[in-house]
Amino acid sequence: MTDGQLSDAMYKKSFWFADWSFPIFVALLSSGIFAGTHMYYVYKVGAFNEVAIVALLEAGMQGSGYGAAAAFGASFLFARILEGGLVGVLDIGGSILTGVGIGIPALLLGAGIVLPLENFFVSLITGLLIGVVIGYVVIGIKKFTVGKANSTFGSDVMMGAGNSSGRFLGPLIIISAATASIPVGLGSLLGGAFFYLWNKPVAGGAILGAMAIGAFFPI
Amino acid sequence: MGGIVVILIKSLIIGAIVGFGVGAGAARMFHAPKSQSMGAFRTIGEMNACAGDRASHFSFGLGFFFNAWASAVGAGALTQDVDHRIIPNWSVAVLLRKGKTIEETMHNPFKMSIAGAIVGAIVVAFLSTTTASIPEGLRNVALEVLAPAADWLINMAMPVIFWLAALDAGKRSGFWGTIFGGLAHIIMGNAVPGVVLGILVGKGVDDSGWNNITKILMTAIIVLFILSAFFRGIDIELIESLNLTVPNWLQGLHNLINP
Repeated sequence: MTDGQLSDAMYKKSFWFADWSFPIFVALLSSGIFAGTHMYYVYKVGAFNEVAIVALLEAGMQGSGYGAAAAFGASFLFARILEGGLVGVLDIGGSILTGVGIGIPALLLGAGIVLPLENFFVSLITGLLIGVVIGYVVIGIKKFTVGKANSTFGSDVMMGAGNSSGRFLGPLIIISAATASIPVGLGSLLGGAFFYLWNKPVAGGAILGAMAIGAFFPI
Repeated sequence: MGGIVVILIKSLIIGAIVGFGVGAGAARMFHAPKSQSMGAFRTIGEMNACAGDRASHFSFGLGFFFNAWASAVGAGALTQDVDHRIIPNWSVAVLLRKGKTIEETMHNPFKMSIAGAIVGAIVVAFLSTTTASIPEGLRNVALEVLAPAADWLINMAMPVIFWLAALDAGKRSGFWGTIFGGLAHIIMGNAVPGVVLGILVGKGVDDSGWNNITKILMTAIIVLFILSAFFRGIDIELIESLNLTVPNWLQGLHNLINP
């Protein structure tokens, strides 16, 4: 069985290929990702995103306001849904991981709604419903607006800016560690430097280095 | 101890449903645009680059697995690579046995979703439970270092990076990015949302002109700004900063909403 031999009927009818089943797949993914953010909210581990983007949500939880996380996530969600229907590939990084995993939780928390993030089952159901809606909107866009809106609304620009913000976090963590205490600062800069040599993200090495030294010399 | 068991069970559930979706979405990508799929273009490229070689798929995923582990231990963030790279590539590695072609495995949403669910459950459970078992003192060091860094990132670095990206992306996004960015800092306390909306409008109009979609977008943004300004009392602050008296009807409207 190769791609060429799949009949058109199969693409229309088969659960595994057809448009009608797409919202089910998005719903399951989105449910898991939203519940992952619940894990992060309660246990501080489990958010399906990069350190820099999770830090947006963390800053909100620390009281600096949810505006940045909400707008960042929600606008990615918007742009990726449009693009997803047009090109046939929904970018899960922008739409589900950042949009549903960070943007929507930030919107809810900003509005003072905490239940979907505090309760595991409510988080699963919330994610499921959001995913169903996203899935139908994408299919709707695929069916009705083909060729009408040929813009990705600058999501490439935002993606580029998002990625370079991630790069800023490495040096910022080392500066923060160096401000906290001299041993922790030294651990952090060594961790960052070696991770750089091994082609791993500097931010990860800087945090691990700070933790390793912090075990012996608490801040 | 009880806490770890709860985290383990939740992680297994989360990992399985995420993996199911990612596996099916990734396999459907090879049938796009006939079949609506989800994933990422870089994922297709990387999966094709490994070309159905079991060892390549596994080691490609492994490199990102260690990254994800470091990031989970340090900051509780599993990274996007779990969904973009680890689950898809390890699922293919699990499915590819002797004599199996990529059409029967990597391109098959049914097999990929089952393999993805298994791989996802194991990976997420492993990352979460190992992170959760780190002593609290150590995690506090990480948080104390990370919190100020995240604060600088959000309040200084990100607004500037997004702003410069908007300015470089063309006259329209630069103009609207500057207008909305400045307004967003005044109204919402952070410029990033405004700059992002500026890019959205600017590039939207660049690509397809002032059509219905961009007009609705612009209207929605203006309504959003007006409502946020009103609910945060920025209108009253502005009038007072200009040494004018707040009209009674406006004060009355605020009292009505927020007694």
